[in-house]
Amino acid sequence: MGLDIPVFQAYQGAEPPRFASQAELECAKVLDYYGIPWLYEPTTFVLEEDEEGRVREAFAPDFYLTEQGLYIELTFMKQSLVTRKNRKLRKLRERYPDVKIKLFYKRDLERLAQHFRLDLAS
Amino acid sequence: MELGAEIARDFEGREPLLVGSLKASFVFLADLSRAIPIAHALDFVELAGYGSAQMGGHEQIRVLKDLDADIRDRDVLVIEDVIDTGLTLNYLVRTFELRHPRSVGAVTLLDRPYRRLVDELPVRYVGFVVPDELFVGYGFDLDEKWRQLPDLRLVHLAAEPGGLD
Repeated sequence: MGLDIPVFQAYQGAEPPRFASQAELECAKVLDYYGIPWLYEPTTFVLEEDEEGRVREAFAPDFYLTEQGLYIELTFMKQSLVTRKNRKLRKLRERYPDVKIKLFYKRDLERLAQHFRLDLAS
Repeated sequence: MELGAEIARDFEGREPLLVGSLKASFVFLADLSRAIPIAHALDFVELAGYGSAQMGGHEQIRVLKDLDADIRDRDVLVIEDVIDTGLTLNYLVRTFELRHPRSVGAVTLLDRPYRRLVDELPVRYVGFVVPDELFVGYGFDLDEKWRQLPDLRLVHLAAEPGGLD
């Protein structure tokens, strides 16, 4: 998709990030704006495997904040998809209890932007 | 105000500098200052919020109003209206620490610790932990409106004009 990707200051990856949505790009801009070092989808966690060890379900959180040791996952979308995402998060926490992960809501971005009805495509 | 007495106990004889993070904290700071019965100084700082009209297209955070005071060897207390993700406070604390204060702490009227992205913040005094709702009044605004209301009101964004509790 034709996202206008700026030059990031706090991005710590080697390759330019390839965002899946405008919302992810906005979140990256917020982290960069506040000088929080970040990576985009650096890790894919296996959530479920079949009897042969083949991966049946996996989850790659959107961002990793390197100084905080924290993964963040965006939830700018409709409620049915948020529920699905919450289920994945629950599984991840069960299987990887030491991994820190938090949801970043559209509301968080709106508060930081001092606007209360951001029009963001998810 | 209980917070004022607590701060006075902790900073007796040290004359802390209270730094209001504009704009929403100004009413809280005015009340807090009058509730602290020890000598203290006041200053203000203002950052452009992400994506705000004040940003003028900047991709990096911008200080709209910096401190007037020299904070070297001072005890600095950042006064916040609310702490959510902690991104703004984290920036302020890191910036102030470069100026070699004796200490930097934070006071917030409202706190949503469950929304925090930056955990290691010196939040020493908290008025109220609140649910994930939007408030106006007592300095809090909604697109620059309602700051003047004398107390905090809960907002229902889905409601049409006048949707305040």
